[in-house]
Amino acid sequence: MEFSLTEEQEFFKKTVTDTIDRMVVPKAREIDEKDEFPWELWRQFGKLGYLGLRYPEEVGGMNADPVTAMIFYEQIARGSVGFAQSVIMNILMGTYFIYRFGSDEIKARCLYPAIKGEKIGTMCFTEDQSGSDLSATRTTAVKEGGEWVINGTKMWITNGPIADMATVLATTDPKLGAKGLNFFLVEKGTPGFSAGQVLDKLGCRGTVTGELVFDNVRLPGENLLGEEVNKGTEYLGEILDEVRVMTAAMALGIAQAAFDEGLEYARKRVAFGKSIGSYQLIRAKFADMATEMEASRLMIYYSAWRIKEKLSSRKEAAMTKMFATETCLKVVDEVTRIWGANGFAREYDPQRHFRDARFLLYGGGTHEIIKDFLGRMIIGKS
Amino acid sequence: MNIVVLAKHVPDAEALIEIKGTGEKLEIEQKFAVSLFDEFALEEALRIRERLGGRVKVITLGTGKAIEVLRTGIAMGVDEALLLDHEAFLGGDGYATALSLSRAIAKEACDLVLCGKQAVDDDRGEVGPMVAQFLGLPHVGSVVKVDIAEGRATAESLVEDGRVVVEVPLPAVLTTQKGLNEPRVPLVMGVMKAMKAQIPRATPEDLGLDPNQIGLAGSKVRIRRYLPPKKRSQVQFIAGDAPGAAAEAVRILIDVERVI
Amino acid sequence: MDRVLIFVETKGDEVKKGSLELLSEARKLAQTGRFAIEAVVIGKVAPSLREAISLYAEKVVHIVDPLLDAYTPEGYSLALADYARTSQPRMILAGATQVGRDFLPRVAVLLECGIASDVTAANWLDNPVTLVRPVYGGKVLTEVVCEESPFLVLTRPNTFDITSPGEKTGEVVERHASLPAGSVKTRMLRREEKPKGKVDLTEADIIVTGGRGLKAPENFTILEDFAAVIGGTVGATRSVVDAKWRDQEDQVGKSGKTVSPKLYIAAGVSGAIHHIMGMDTSKVVLAINRDPNAIIFNYATYGIVGDLFEVVPAMTAELKKRLGRG
Repeated sequence: MEFSLTEEQEFFKKTVTDTIDRMVVPKAREIDEKDEFPWELWRQFGKLGYLGLRYPEEVGGMNADPVTAMIFYEQIARGSVGFAQSVIMNILMGTYFIYRFGSDEIKARCLYPAIKGEKIGTMCFTEDQSGSDLSATRTTAVKEGGEWVINGTKMWITNGPIADMATVLATTDPKLGAKGLNFFLVEKGTPGFSAGQVLDKLGCRGTVTGELVFDNVRLPGENLLGEEVNKGTEYLGEILDEVRVMTAAMALGIAQAAFDEGLEYARKRVAFGKSIGSYQLIRAKFADMATEMEASRLMIYYSAWRIKEKLSSRKEAAMTKMFATETCLKVVDEVTRIWGANGFAREYDPQRHFRDARFLLYGGGTHEIIKDFLGRMIIGKS
Repeated sequence: MNIVVLAKHVPDAEALIEIKGTGEKLEIEQKFAVSLFDEFALEEALRIRERLGGRVKVITLGTGKAIEVLRTGIAMGVDEALLLDHEAFLGGDGYATALSLSRAIAKEACDLVLCGKQAVDDDRGEVGPMVAQFLGLPHVGSVVKVDIAEGRATAESLVEDGRVVVEVPLPAVLTTQKGLNEPRVPLVMGVMKAMKAQIPRATPEDLGLDPNQIGLAGSKVRIRRYLPPKKRSQVQFIAGDAPGAAAEAVRILIDVERVI
Repeated sequence: MDRVLIFVETKGDEVKKGSLELLSEARKLAQTGRFAIEAVVIGKVAPSLREAISLYAEKVVHIVDPLLDAYTPEGYSLALADYARTSQPRMILAGATQVGRDFLPRVAVLLECGIASDVTAANWLDNPVTLVRPVYGGKVLTEVVCEESPFLVLTRPNTFDITSPGEKTGEVVERHASLPAGSVKTRMLRREEKPKGKVDLTEADIIVTGGRGLKAPENFTILEDFAAVIGGTVGATRSVVDAKWRDQEDQVGKSGKTVSPKLYIAAGVSGAIHHIMGMDTSKVVLAINRDPNAIIFNYATYGIVGDLFEVVPAMTAELKKRLGRG
C-alpha cells in the first residue's frame, strides 16, 4: 500500500492551491453576493487548461488520473463553490458522454470548445418527480424515422440556463424504468429546447441552476450518446462512482475553507485575556474536525485509487460521499459556532461555507438513499 | 537573450515559527513557497524572452522540497533549471551563498541575471549585489521597470524619495521589487511538463568549490542565537466618545509619550 | 586602537538620518578612547557639509573622482573598498538605506569580509561585536557576530539616538579614488523625486497609515490634514495600494516598507500580519478602529474604538489648538 501522493501529485496540489488562492479566493465573496456567473474567471480558467483535466492530451486535456483529479476538485471547491460547481460539471458530467460516444463532428462542435472554456456543458437528470429514482424519469425520447423526439422538463440543472450543450437523460418507455434510459445530446439553438426558470439558491450562488424545457426537440440519430439503445443506466455506472467521490472532494474543500477560517479566528480572537484557541472545548472541536477531515481525505484518495485501478468501487464511493459530506456539515457548523456572533455576519466567510455545504445533502445522491443502498449491499437481499 | 533567474525556496508567509529552547534553533511549519520577490524575477525573465527571444534558466540553492521552486519555474515556462543540491551549500550567509550561486551562473553564457531584491526569510538583500560583484558585473537594485534594447538595460528603481532611472550594459544583474509585474499563474500544460521534468543537480565539486568555502562552513557572519521580538504590553484603550477620546489621545501623545 | 569607518550618506545639503545616528554612536565610541573614528563621504559633497560632519568625527575622508559624481554601486563600492584596504578599519558602518544596502554588499565581496544588513541593535563594546537583525519579516530576531576583521554593518534608520556633536571640528582630507576607466558601467539617466517636504516613510518620526476603513481614496485627505499638523508622513496598507488608492511607495508592510517611527498611527487598519511585520518596532502605536476586536489592537500601545471619520478630525482640531498651528 502506498499512502502518499507522488512527488508529481504534491507539486500539482501545491500549484493548484496557489492558483486558486490567487485567482478564485479573492473573487469568492463577490461571486456569492452577486449570484452572477463569473464569465471572466471562467474564460481565464479555460485558458489555463484545467477544464480538460480528465481528457487525453491529444484533445487538449491533462489526462489526469482520478486521484490527481480529486486534488483539483477539492481545491476549486475550497476557493468558491459557486464557481466550482460550474467548472466541475463541465469537466466531467457535462462532457463525459460526448467524449465517450460522440461522433467526430459532435466532438469538434462540442467537446473541444468545452475543454477550452469556449462552450459550457451540462448533464440533465433531475426532474420534478425524479431525483434519486432515475427509473421514474418522465422525459421521453421517441424514434421517428431517423430522428429522436425529446419531450420533458428537467429541474435543478447546474449550468442549465447558460449551457451550450446538454446531455439529457430520457426514457424510450417509462414502463421499462431503469432499463429504458438513454443519453441524448441537445445543443443550444435546437428548436424546442429552452431554458426555463432560474433558481434562487441558498448556497452555491454564482452557479446558474435552473429548469430546461424540451418541447418536441428533434435530434439526428447520432445525438444518441451510446452504442446501443436503452443502455443509459449501464453507461452512467461508468462515472457514477467518480461523481460521488468528486462530490466528497468538494465537501472536503468546503470543510477545509471553513476550517482554515476557524483556525485563524481561534488563534487571534481573544476572550478573558487569552486567545480562544487556549480553551479546552475549542481545542476539542479542532481535534474532532481535523480527525474527521483526515479520514475523509484518506477515503477520497482510496476510492479514487480504486477507480483508477479499475477495482470495484461502488461501495467505497458511496461511503466516501456520505462520510465526507457529514464531516463537512459538522465542520461548517462548528466553525460558525467558534466565530460566535461574527459567524452570523454576511460580511465574513463562515456563513457562506455554512450555506454552500447544504447542497451536498442531495448532490451525488441523498444520504437516505445511499444508506439504504449500502445497508442492502452489506446485509444482502432478504 | 540568455537569462538566469535566482529563486529561493522559503517558508510560506503564514508558516508558524517557534524559537526552540534558549534560542539555539527554530522550528518552522513545513509549508513552503517561492520567495515573493523572486516571483517577479521569474515573471520578468519570461516577459523579456517573449519580447526578445532567448532562453531562461532558473537556479535554486537548496535540498529536499526546494526542487519545487524549479518545478514552479518550469510550469511558468522557463527552459532549464538547476538545483544546487548538497548539504554543504546550506546555511550560508550572504557571502557564501552568493559565491555558490555566482559559480553556477559563471558556467553559463548569460546576458542578464534576475533575482528578488531580498529573500523573505533572511531579509538580507545581499546576494543580488554580491553575485554581481563576484561576476564582475554591474547591478541595479529594487527595479520596478525594465526595458532591454541593443545590449543595454534601462532600469527604474524605487528609492526612498522617488525613482531613479539608470542604464547598464549587458550582461548585468537586476534585483526585482514589487510593482515590476504581476506573476503569471501556470497553465496546466506547464504544470504537467514540470511534474515530469528531470531536473539536473550540481554539487560543490561540480562548481569547483571546496565545502569549506560555502554554506555554514564558509560563512563570515554567523547566527549565535534566535530571540523573540520585543513583546508589546497589552493595549490601553482610550475611552470616551469621539471628541473626548481624541482629546485624551492628543494629551497622552504630547504630554505623556512626548512623541509629538 | 580600532579604526571605525562610517560611510556618511548625504543628500543635497543634509546628512541622512541613519548616518547621523551612526555618527552619534561613533562619538560615544571615540570617547572610550579605544576607537578612532573616520567619516567617509563619497562624490559630490559641499565643503560646508564636510565640516559639519567633522564635528562628529576626528577625520573626514572625502573620496572624489569624476566617476563618483553620480551614485553608482560599482563606483562607490570600489572607492570605499579601496580606502578600506589603505586604512585597515576593524569595522565599516553605514545606514541600511537604499544606497547603503545597494553597494555595501559589493564592498564585502571586494574585501572578502562579512556584512550584517539591517541591524536593529548593536553592542559595539562586545568582542566580537554583537549585532541583532530581524528575519522572517521581524517575526524572529537573530543575534549575529562576525569574528573576522574588517566587517560591515548596515543599521536600520531610527535605531539609535542622534546627539548633538561637539564643537571641535575634525580633519577633512580629500582623496582621489583614481578609478580605472571603464570600471563604472552604470549610467544615471534621471531622478524623479517626490514633492519636497515629504519625509520618506523609512526615516519618518511620525507615520499615519490608512487602510480599507477609509472606504474611498478621497477620504485619505483626512489623514493628510492630520499628518500635516504633526509633521507626519502618510502610509498605506497593502489592500489600499492594491486597490490603487495610494502608491506602492506609500505601502507599509512586508512587501512594502519596514518602518520604525517614534509614533505610528493606524486608522481604519485591521492589522493583517504582513502589515504588522512592517511596523511592529514603532515606539508608540495608536490604533483607531470601530471594531474592538480588530487585530491591530494586539499590536498597539493605545487604542481608540470609534469611527475614524469622527476621531481623526477631532484629533486634528485638538492638535491645532495645542500646537498653535491653525
